[in-house]
Amino acid sequence: MKIVFTTKGTTWDSQMDPRFGRAETFLIYDEEADTLETVVNSETEAMDHGVGPQTTKKVLGLGANVIITGNGAGQKALEVLKSFDAKMYVGAGDMTVEEAYEAYKANKLQLQF
Amino acid sequence: MREVVVISGKGGTGKTSLSASFSYIEGANAVVCDCDVDAANMHLLLGANFNNQSDFYSGEISVIDPEMCTNCGECFDVCRFDAITQEEDTHIVDPISCEGCHYCFQVCPHEAITMVTQKAGDVYISDIKQGGKMAHAKLGFAAENSGKLVAKVKSEAKMLALKEDKGFVITDGSPGIGCPVISSLSGANLVVLVTEATVSGLHDLKRVYELTKTFNLKCVCIINKYDLNQVITTKIEDFLLKEKVPVVAKLPYDETFTKALAIAQPIVEFDNSSELSQTIIKTWDKIKQIINEEQK
Repeated sequence: MKIVFTTKGTTWDSQMDPRFGRAETFLIYDEEADTLETVVNSETEAMDHGVGPQTTKKVLGLGANVIITGNGAGQKALEVLKSFDAKMYVGAGDMTVEEAYEAYKANKLQLQF
Repeated sequence: MREVVVISGKGGTGKTSLSASFSYIEGANAVVCDCDVDAANMHLLLGANFNNQSDFYSGEISVIDPEMCTNCGECFDVCRFDAITQEEDTHIVDPISCEGCHYCFQVCPHEAITMVTQKAGDVYISDIKQGGKMAHAKLGFAAENSGKLVAKVKSEAKMLALKEDKGFVITDGSPGIGCPVISSLSGANLVVLVTEATVSGLHDLKRVYELTKTFNLKCVCIINKYDLNQVITTKIEDFLLKEKVPVVAKLPYDETFTKALAIAQPIVEFDNSSELSQTIIKTWDKIKQIINEEQK
């Protein structure tokens, strides 16, 4: 299972970024291999409009099965995400990455769709 | 630090008057953030001094190099925005009309066209009269507000609030439900919806509320000018009740709004002892209470 977190840093102690489209960083945790990978979402910072669909493309390209974020994705990004076999959990905006992972494991996060 | 975003869907409901008052009440404990960059006016009410400026770049326009241009006119033919004109054997791009679509750049057979990033405006951090600071922006001619610019203004405000350990970021959003509004909502802890008792007030409230639902944001509502049309006020209240959105205030139509605006003061500064001001002060208290409950 590959889990993608929207974050403001690169470690388990980092704060989550509540934003999806303009999230600063993605941390990808591969549960089987127990590896943590970082992808900086720098391209969207330069974009005026339409970051939702672009970020969705990127996250799906990372092979995400589960996405954990704060507020969730907007309408356009949701349309795309729904047609793929990925689940998005929201409500982790005020947590650290580790807390978000534990909350997800304990079924405490809300499923956006 | 908690962020409150004030939006309305419809323009002219009293959003800026109210957020300026909330900011004034909270004083130095809040960083104010004006995300209504298309029609930025909160700096007028809060006496911003524009003391820290930085450039903001956004979008591209095409530029034709006259040395390499052979005047073949292919760019002129394809431009959908009539941005390219032919003058005395040269082709020139009108930067105001150019939308930066890259069409001319793609078709030019001589590679005489380059796309140049535009300075779209300025971002400011200002000191304001109640103490504290505000982040705001000013757009250049023919430049438009964007999610990117709002994200920039917001990140400046949030960084400032974290650095100086402030309790609140109070964000004045823009009307509508488009990209800048979505960007102003991101990361908010509470959304204050300001509506008014008119047909479009209710219609636009519903639209913008749908948007906040997508992002799972907690909302409260202020019904302004509720006495304009009691029938619509009842419809608004029914809608909010059904959606479980608490109404934190119902304000009557009151010309103090315009009088205070005319001398560039928040209502609570203009006439602190009036009933209207007292209601606004109580409303802000209620909003803070709801934020505290949410945090638990």
